Amino acid sequence: MSDLRLAVNAAAPATGEALTNKLVARKLGFRYGDTQALRDVSIDIPERRVTALIGPSGCGKSTLLRVFNRIYAIYPKQVADGEVLLDGENILGPKYPLSRLRSKIGMVFQKPVPFPMSIYENVAYAIRHHEKLTRTQMDERVEEALQQAALWTEVKDKLKRSALGLSGGQQQRLCIARAIALHPEVLLLDEPTSALDPIATGKIEQLVADLKARYTIVIVTHNMQQAARCSDFTAFMYLGELIEHGITEKMFTNPGKQQTEDYITGRFG
Amino acid sequence: MRYPRRTSARADRFFAGLVASAGYFVLFALAGAAISMFWGGREAITTFGFDFFTSSNWDVGAGQFGAAVAIFGTLVSATIAMLIAVPISFGIALFLTEVAPNWLRGPVAAAIELLAGIPSIIYGMWGLFVLAPYLGEHIYPWVNDNLGELPLIGALFQGPPIGIGLLTAGLVLAVMVIPFTSSVMREVFLTVPTRLKESAYALGSTKWEVAWDIVLPYTRTAVIGGVFLGLGRALGETMAVTFVIGNAYNISASLLEPGTSIASSIANEFAEAVDPLHKSALLALGFVLFVITFVVLSISRLMLRQLKRREGTV
Repeated sequence: MSDLRLAVNAAAPATGEALTNKLVARKLGFRYGDTQALRDVSIDIPERRVTALIGPSGCGKSTLLRVFNRIYAIYPKQVADGEVLLDGENILGPKYPLSRLRSKIGMVFQKPVPFPMSIYENVAYAIRHHEKLTRTQMDERVEEALQQAALWTEVKDKLKRSALGLSGGQQQRLCIARAIALHPEVLLLDEPTSALDPIATGKIEQLVADLKARYTIVIVTHNMQQAARCSDFTAFMYLGELIEHGITEKMFTNPGKQQTEDYITGRFG
Repeated sequence: MRYPRRTSARADRFFAGLVASAGYFVLFALAGAAISMFWGGREAITTFGFDFFTSSNWDVGAGQFGAAVAIFGTLVSATIAMLIAVPISFGIALFLTEVAPNWLRGPVAAAIELLAGIPSIIYGMWGLFVLAPYLGEHIYPWVNDNLGELPLIGALFQGPPIGIGLLTAGLVLAVMVIPFTSSVMREVFLTVPTRLKESAYALGSTKWEVAWDIVLPYTRTAVIGGVFLGLGRALGETMAVTFVIGNAYNISASLLEPGTSIASSIANEFAEAVDPLHKSALLALGFVLFVITFVVLSISRLMLRQLKRREGTV
């Protein structure tokens, strides 16, 4: 990993700051019942950068994402072993409180899933779980989140309307607003544009570029161009294992492993 | 090759007519039932006028018929049943869809279906021979001593702890209604998309919050539908209620006192209704029950429309 660190720091000369690792997986394994979905995955996710997870369907990239916020824990028979460190603390440990984890790590899903309530309530609902705010504070927080998600100007006059009336792209940005309203440190995006048209996709990608100044972002994508366009680092996974992980530009121009090259050039997957 | 266009168009029209007549049959049956009950009950209604609905005097010997006691008993026992059945059904449905381990879901769901299949006369026997004596001996005396002293609601729980009465009828009805409401709720809870629930969990919601804030609003229409389905059954249930309600024509604040319901009055007296006025009064009672059910369903529709309007989806 040390050459990755060197390469990473070389790749980020603009800021001049050394990258720290926000999220670190060590020897991570994951089972659904009898199926081993992840094997011995070790990966560093650098802070305030975008890391893309790519690989063919079933390779474990979404599973890896779902381990990072322990969303799998709502299902019996899904078990993770190994370690995932968030700022050095093991989030898989039984002592790590779930509500704290979920306020620190936000997640956006494949399809837009607004809650069956108003636009305002969709965002406020998330905040209310973690903080007690006055009416004006809440208004500010909701506006801030919608601004950051580049949705404010489109919805500011209809905050009380049902979120189900928004377009698919707007709904997805609302879901991002909902996630960032909690002031998380990490954002997990699980194929956030796979259900959207190209224009809406473009907006989300622009948003990802804007948000990485504040958040550590992990994005799962099927779309290689998307990974190339909006990530700083790319990890290629195959059959539950991490095959290669490195700077996006290098991964796409000069991958280190044959399997990676075969996948990104479309020879399989 | 010739295309059998004209034949197929004719067959299509024939088919459309066939299904349309099946659809209209429902309307005719409904209108026919309502009209024949009203027609049969016209003698009682013309004899007593509006007093038929408000008078609590039902005296077969004296030829006096007022429906108020039966209407009161019907509404009160059904309300008690729903107050008990709705929360329990909600709990059952949530347990089965969100909490229970997989191996337990099948057996419990099957048990509920079986509960729905038990004939109501069995519930009535159970209510009379098992539940009522038990309540009369162990529960109602306690209710008398403790709840009877409370201000405001105390009057509801004073009275002879004989075991049969409106509260017992409500309890038996609750047990009968639970399978209906809980299986409707369970089915609609299963339709909530996993990703919706996961997004709520991902924001830090607990199971209870996901159920209350996400699952319930998402399925609200169907849940209210299920509740009213149960209410319809509670209002019209005959045999089980006849066994345990006491069949006494009196109105009292106490839920422990015996009373009667529309359906059980009809069931009890129809065979002995030789006096045409008595028979007519029973038919008029049936018409009242019909109207109550109709009103209940209309209110549920109205409520749903209002809820939708408030959310701006209409």
